[in-house]
Amino acid sequence: MQKINRRNLLISSVAAYTVTGLNLAQAHTTPAEYTINIRKFKFEPDHIDVHIGDTITWVNQDLVAHTATAEAGDWDTEMLEKSQSKSLQVTKGMTGEYFCVFHPHMKGTINIK
Amino acid sequence: MKIKTTLLAAGFIASMVGVAHANDPAKLNDLEIAHVAYIADNIDIRYAHLALAISSNPAIHDFAKTMIRDHTAVNEQALALLAKLDAQPQDNFLSQSLQENAEKLITEMSALRGAAFDKFYAENELAYHKAVNDLVGNTFIPNIENAEVKSLFEAGLEIFQAHEHHAEMMVGEVN
Repeated sequence: MQKINRRNLLISSVAAYTVTGLNLAQAHTTPAEYTINIRKFKFEPDHIDVHIGDTITWVNQDLVAHTATAEAGDWDTEMLEKSQSKSLQVTKGMTGEYFCVFHPHMKGTINIK
Repeated sequence: MKIKTTLLAAGFIASMVGVAHANDPAKLNDLEIAHVAYIADNIDIRYAHLALAISSNPAIHDFAKTMIRDHTAVNEQALALLAKLDAQPQDNFLSQSLQENAEKLITEMSALRGAAFDKFYAENELAYHKAVNDLVGNTFIPNIENAEVKSLFEAGLEIFQAHEHHAEMMVGEVN
């Protein structure tokens, strides 16, 4: 059996810290995936915090068609019929408010961290 | 009566007043209610086509296109459900009243141009959706017996309430 001494404990702690540190670093660099459901004429959730490179998928669960379209006009899911979905990768220009072109009272926001 | 007042405000149901006691919307069966809804959807689609033909206001065009898209989608769902249930919608006094008054209103709107048309169309859409939502929410849904038909009407009401909200925005834009 390997003898446990102070030096071995120190090496183990440093190794564990390094692995944990790597995982934390990877958590910020590995793209995440988010889903926004369109249900009962609402974006759910209506606010989302994301990083550049993440992916957002809008899923239309209503009977009628919707869009998710940037107020500034720089991105658009285009028309999503009932049960259709569209995924977009987050880019720098996607921060801010968006809405449904067909039902302009439907609004959501994207915040890039 | 709240329903009667609201429908009068929409300007399309005046002829019902004299027969309201004999023909009660609360007494309609599921297939008659389905017929009323189908007619009401098609009337709004006709108003929308008229708006696309006469108006040059982009806000009116956007709204009208949404009405055509959404009411067509709802009607397709309704027809699919009726086919599944192997049932046919049944014509009735309320469908006929809606249709007759829509014809009068379309004649009236067809004579208007420019801002006068836009204002009339927007205000009529708001009044129409308010009246229909009142009828669907307070009279039809509580009286529908078939669970699937009731569920479709509940989904439809959410859609028409969104239209009412949209119409309010449109009225604000044209006034």
